[in-house]
Amino acid sequence: MDKQKIKIRAFGLIAEKMETDDFDLEGLHDTDGVRMALLGKFPSLEKIDFAIAVDKELIDKNTSLKSGAEVALLPPFSGG
Amino acid sequence: MAKKIKNIFVQGPISPEFIGESIAHHSKKTGIGGHSIFLGQVRADKKEGNQEVEAIEYSSYLEMALEKAHEIREQTFEKYDLSCMHIHHSMGRVEKGEICLFVFTSSKHREPAINACNELVERIKKEIPIWGKEILSNKETNWKTNS
Repeated sequence: MDKQKIKIRAFGLIAEKMETDDFDLEGLHDTDGVRMALLGKFPSLEKIDFAIAVDKELIDKNTSLKSGAEVALLPPFSGG
Repeated sequence: MAKKIKNIFVQGPISPEFIGESIAHHSKKTGIGGHSIFLGQVRADKKEGNQEVEAIEYSSYLEMALEKAHEIREQTFEKYDLSCMHIHHSMGRVEKGEICLFVFTSSKHREPAINACNELVERIKKEIPIWGKEILSNKETNWKTNS
């Protein structure tokens, strides 16, 4: 049984579109899989630019995930 | 020894009194010859439909933001000959005209202080996961984008 759990955290515009900012996804093993699953669940994300961080590190290519990994969805930063 | 991670976040606006006191705290550090300060202020931008930005509500990915700020801090100390460095950024609501970012660097001579301060501001805006939601006069909201 594939029950690997991934923690999803969303911020800014992404959290607003998804109407949630913290939930778990099961049975996913890499960030491309997470992206696909999220687009399936929240089609409005299609048009939004966002980066992904795994355990607080920005990634720029598909990255494998261990059980319990925290995957954060980060729209362009706008501090200052 | 690993240095302690500092909290850069202040709830609400950064008060001019806090900034003044922060400057005053350095009078005993007599090796300092120059300070450089950047203050970011919430601008009442004009928006479509005769709307104006009334306030910005800041949020962050706190754990990552603090780690990133720590990394930027360490790298800046490494690169420039600084005596002191202070970074404060607002969280939550800041009204137009209020201060939301305070970066303060000090050095023996002006050049490292000025250059480090400029670089810090650029890196904070580009690399720290903070988001600003603009609250308009009609109460609608708009996610700020940095140029």
